Amino acid sequence: MAPTPDWVKQLTPSGPQGSELLATERAKSDITVERLSQLLYTQEVLDRKKKIINVLKSEKVFDKSQNYFSGRIDRFETALARAKKLRNLRVKHEWNLDEYRTASEAISEPGPYGLHDSMFLITIAEQGTPEQHAQFLVKAEEYKFIGCYAQTELGHGSNVRGLETTATWNLEDKTFIIHSPYLTASKWWIGSLGKTANYAVVMAQLFIAGKSYGPHPFVVQIRDLKTHEPLENVHVGDIGPKFGYNTMDNGFLLFNKVKVPHISMLARFSRVDLDTNQYVREGSPSLVYGTLTWVRSTIVMQAGSVLARGVTIATRYCAVRRQFQDRDAPASEPGENQVLNYTMVQIRLLPLLAATFALHFTGKSMMNLYSENQKKMNAGEAKDNGRGAGPEEIQSGSDILADLHATSCGLKAYSSTIAAEGLEVCRRACGGHGYSSFSGIGPWYADYLPTTTWEGDNYMLTQQVARYLLKSARSVLSSSAPSNDTTSILSTFLSRSEIGCAFDVLGSDSDLVDAFAWRTAFLTFEALKHRDEQKKAWNDLLVDFYRLSKAHSQYMVVRNFYEALQSGETRAQIDDSTLDVLTKLFRLFALNTLEQEGSEFYASGAVTVKQISLARTNTVMKLLEEIRPHAVRLVDSWAFDDWVLDSSLGRQDGKVYEDMFYRASELNPLNSITVDPYPDSEVLFKKDDRRRSKL
Amino acid sequence: MSDFTSSLKPRYDGPATLAAERNGSSINIPELSKHLLSRDGFLSRQEKVLQVLKRDRLFSKDQQLNLSRPDRYHLGLARAKAIQRIVRREGWDHEDYKMAEYLVDEMSPFHLHMSMFVTTVREQGSEEQKAYWMPQILNYDIIGCYAQSELGHGSNVRGLETTATWDPVKKEFEIHSPHLTASKWWNGTMGRTATHAIVVAQLLLPHPSNPSNLISHGPQPFILRIRDQRTHLPLPGIAVGDIGPKYGYASMDNGYMLFDHLRVPRSAMLSRYAEVSAETGALSRRGHPAVVYGSLTFVRGQIVMHARLVLARAVTVAVRYCAIRRQFHDRDDVKGERGEMQVLDYPTVQIRILPLLATTFALHYTGEMMYDLYHGTRETVEKGDFGPLAELHSASSGLKSLCTTIAADGIETCRRAMGGHGFGGGSGLVGINADYLSKPTVEGDNWMITQQVAASLIKKMTSCVQNPHAEPKDPTDAIFLYYLKNKDTHIPQSPIHPPNNGKADFEFTDKAIVDIFQWRAAALSHDAYTARIIEKKPWTSLMIQLHALSRAYSEQILITTFYNALTTTPTTPTSLRPTPNLSHPTTNILTTCFHLHALHTLSLSPPTFLLTNSIPLSLLAHLPNAILHLMTALRPHAVALVDAWAIPEYVLDSALGRGDGRVYEELFDMAHRRNPLNRVTFNVDWRSEEIVRGSGDAGRGVLGKL
Repeated sequence: MAPTPDWVKQLTPSGPQGSELLATERAKSDITVERLSQLLYTQEVLDRKKKIINVLKSEKVFDKSQNYFSGRIDRFETALARAKKLRNLRVKHEWNLDEYRTASEAISEPGPYGLHDSMFLITIAEQGTPEQHAQFLVKAEEYKFIGCYAQTELGHGSNVRGLETTATWNLEDKTFIIHSPYLTASKWWIGSLGKTANYAVVMAQLFIAGKSYGPHPFVVQIRDLKTHEPLENVHVGDIGPKFGYNTMDNGFLLFNKVKVPHISMLARFSRVDLDTNQYVREGSPSLVYGTLTWVRSTIVMQAGSVLARGVTIATRYCAVRRQFQDRDAPASEPGENQVLNYTMVQIRLLPLLAATFALHFTGKSMMNLYSENQKKMNAGEAKDNGRGAGPEEIQSGSDILADLHATSCGLKAYSSTIAAEGLEVCRRACGGHGYSSFSGIGPWYADYLPTTTWEGDNYMLTQQVARYLLKSARSVLSSSAPSNDTTSILSTFLSRSEIGCAFDVLGSDSDLVDAFAWRTAFLTFEALKHRDEQKKAWNDLLVDFYRLSKAHSQYMVVRNFYEALQSGETRAQIDDSTLDVLTKLFRLFALNTLEQEGSEFYASGAVTVKQISLARTNTVMKLLEEIRPHAVRLVDSWAFDDWVLDSSLGRQDGKVYEDMFYRASELNPLNSITVDPYPDSEVLFKKDDRRRSKL
Repeated sequence: MSDFTSSLKPRYDGPATLAAERNGSSINIPELSKHLLSRDGFLSRQEKVLQVLKRDRLFSKDQQLNLSRPDRYHLGLARAKAIQRIVRREGWDHEDYKMAEYLVDEMSPFHLHMSMFVTTVREQGSEEQKAYWMPQILNYDIIGCYAQSELGHGSNVRGLETTATWDPVKKEFEIHSPHLTASKWWNGTMGRTATHAIVVAQLLLPHPSNPSNLISHGPQPFILRIRDQRTHLPLPGIAVGDIGPKYGYASMDNGYMLFDHLRVPRSAMLSRYAEVSAETGALSRRGHPAVVYGSLTFVRGQIVMHARLVLARAVTVAVRYCAIRRQFHDRDDVKGERGEMQVLDYPTVQIRILPLLATTFALHYTGEMMYDLYHGTRETVEKGDFGPLAELHSASSGLKSLCTTIAADGIETCRRAMGGHGFGGGSGLVGINADYLSKPTVEGDNWMITQQVAASLIKKMTSCVQNPHAEPKDPTDAIFLYYLKNKDTHIPQSPIHPPNNGKADFEFTDKAIVDIFQWRAAALSHDAYTARIIEKKPWTSLMIQLHALSRAYSEQILITTFYNALTTTPTTPTSLRPTPNLSHPTTNILTTCFHLHALHTLSLSPPTFLLTNSIPLSLLAHLPNAILHLMTALRPHAVALVDAWAIPEYVLDSALGRGDGRVYEELFDMAHRRNPLNRVTFNVDWRSEEIVRGSGDAGRGVLGKL
């Protein structure tokens, strides 16, 4: 295509420039962005990010400018090149795991080594014996074995017990036979498996002498280490294009009676005895349980920053974008109104802005709780002289862990749903331009979406929370003393069941938190009544359980946000005016949620209709108005580098339109093509000046 | 490619499962299909056009998701051209052509030519202009687009920055882009394809007594050539190109365009309603451009009808797959005798899918009502008398907003209800999700346009308050007047009657359902009237309330229309009367759909009903069980109901939604045999720069593409 003409290059956006508008926005607020950033990340993390992003920017292979244009195979090929380069950089700069992860996050696309780096290494490390570590882990850490974690199948996802792949113990030659008896037994969705991995941890149903022992992990070689072709009777490949995640080779895998040695079965917790052919269980995998809790806590904390990317982009763009005159504006102010001044834009964006902080503080407090508890458990274990903890000890010692585990299920579901749906709200709040890939929100949303179904489908998970809450309610009814927060709020509710409550939700922040606790307790006992007294079928209660879990998670988020703002640690790090704005964000998040779930709060007796009505028409509107001037500085404090955001609309300097135009006109390969548009001619592209041809 | 996988079968038999589902329902599927899809011979046309497209390999959708953006456009252009050749070969009419676009299911690079471009010339061109342009347009000698929205302006047409300045000396216009934000942006067909454009620009005329002072006369349409007929390169003074990749719409070349003092003749301005005099340079307006509103209402009717098909498609995929997919044993089935449960039996799955299934019918009857009203009033409208269309026009923006939001969100809800596989290309919802998501923001942003409805409702309420005893002019008037008369004495009624002694099951009062939605709409209109007219609150501060009002009012239209369709009255148009056309069980099941749609809608925002005194608080206690009851009643008919929408496999393009239930076979075949990534072997060792194994290019291939 002809170079951009000079007269085009000289054009600037009309009216006040984006950079001026954002500067004005930043001048309107007295929030100290740097200190709030430090509170969110710590200075150490901020410095690390900066250092690593600078390294990445200097490497051509990480150039993002063609990401939005390429086809599936090119996307994957580039992603593989990036994964390799990243590994090289890690060796060269001696990056530790945190630094390596920071780099992956900044690249912001799933990479072909993703599952090797995470689940493959973790599973072998946690579930392998020292002998197995020597056999597999050493080479895996050198990336000689590149692995993946093959659990879900074509026919089964969340239900691990329903897996169809079998591992049958062969008494004669002391081997396992891994086999796929049905088409639906095919491993499916497995990241890094499609084209990259030469090894896999395969979850398969263990059979010994015709008896089933449930799913167990096996380390299986699947591709030749030299030719990288699949081994005989192993059938493996990529599952094809997806909604997002197209840089990842999610794969399928089938076995035709493949024989693997005894050492393949990861044997830290259970094994087949070589001499007796008996199944032996060794201790409890409850530590693994802990890992899952940790993974879910990170999902909660990430949900805050995932959403913050969308909110950052939408907030900045809505501050730059101007549309329509205010109907009530005096004739002396002829300019168009910033879109962010519209209350109907505020009601969509500002509660989400509040949610970014709410989720962040919740995830952080869960992770703190987890590490403290882990320390306690490890200390307890050491005292035991190596004897594995018995079930009663796990029960008593891990009441907080049990609470944390159930809580993490619900919060994972709730927070990833908020983040995924929130991103789409942000995209739509950007109007037409939100639909462009250059908004940066759409592709990010597409890659984030699987989080709502993996590590436990969001709907399925809520059953675990409900089960836990029902159990806690039964223990409270049998007059056991409260041993954690959940049993405390249930006891409080029970003790006041004849007295009722009167929460000043609009006047007192702690009452607001209590109202969320009250509603959760109310719904718990309602569900218990349905299940235990009215003997309703479990299946008929699933919708109630879903609501109950959501209510509990909302309570957790509101409480954690509130406590984070009360803590001396937080208060020492930020100044009063920032704390004041954060407190308003807390109220906005809590009251907006309360208003949306109004009928449940009302039915529980926690609030009156009048309070809901006032919250809606009065308090929330006032909070929007008060938070509005701080919006840009608040998103600034999330400290996303422009290179990471990769968004025209979300640029820190407000040069939204210049960047949209530059990408369209200069980076867009379609503009190097001249077409023949007339239907009577078979010629499609008259001229193709692209630097390259397609694969 | 035959290997050991060829002999493998899925654990559970998909075809048998779907057959059992179909046997379990008494719905006469062909009869219901005919009832839903007979307008303009839709079903037979669908079949006719489908047969032709299927014969041509160019229309195979197999590899679409693997293609890069430029390749998708390449394919889109090839198909657009091929369809024109087929149209001529087969003698297809315009409806056939539109059907082909629907079936191919991607935004054609020619799309704007036969929609906004030709419509604008037809509606806004003078007789002379039409005589000149129409033959070239219909013959595709020129390809046109419609350039209205700009980089800096979307919904606000009056804010457009492109100018068209009259030069009284040379008697021509100068089209110019004074700022970067004046760049036309998002305009379909413009990026690479179009030879011509309708450009909407601010008309500037010199002041008669002081020619250096330019007066703006608002936006006007100009038709002009933008690319050279022979080389197809942009004309001098024009910078035009494609705006790059989007969330969806990969096959469409949405464009940008800037003008550098471009000169066009006086005849470029479409002049049916306004013309600049060559002699005096004065603007004369004539006729009544409001007639355009009629076609806008029609377009919105089309959007509603399309929304129902899109939603039906997502629901079809989700219902079929969730019937076939099995996961977990029932917790109360302690011995595990019943095998794993069909996912569709989980209430947590039902609550996401079945209300949407019910909503497809709600959208259907409202779309039909809009078509009937439009066709029924066309003649009077041509004369400038809008009749019942006036009410519908103001309502149509609210309906467009509500229905496209429901459909867009519904696709995503269905996709997620399918668990992990919903994320895969085999769901068939990846493309439609991405493409359809443009709808909530195009042709009037869903949040912005609700202000129009709210403004007209406030106006109507104001006049009702001033004349509370007047005869109602239209249904909305009637609702408002009823409200004003009864608002101080109103006692909320519950339409739900739970089982008690004597009654085994839930019962519902249909009329009471309609009443509570109408009461809420009227009460919220009155609240808005009070806030704006009496209390004089700023418009901006009311926007959220007004948006809620528009939604409540539009929901009321869906409910009322659905109810009217089920309750034959002498005034119900034939097309809206299922009862005489449908055999017995189907009508009852549609009534269940009506109940479920209504109660589910109610359950989404109980406070707005409570705060307007529309429902008693006691209703909320029964609502969850009533919904569960309705879902249980609807569940056995779910597969039959989606079958009735008769969405062809070619449109579904979905392994999960296959009508024959061969879900897993198809997913595997797509991955194993039809996936181009599996034809490449990669070098995964991080120490080696080579990426594609055996290419020996040391990674240069990748860098060359960046």
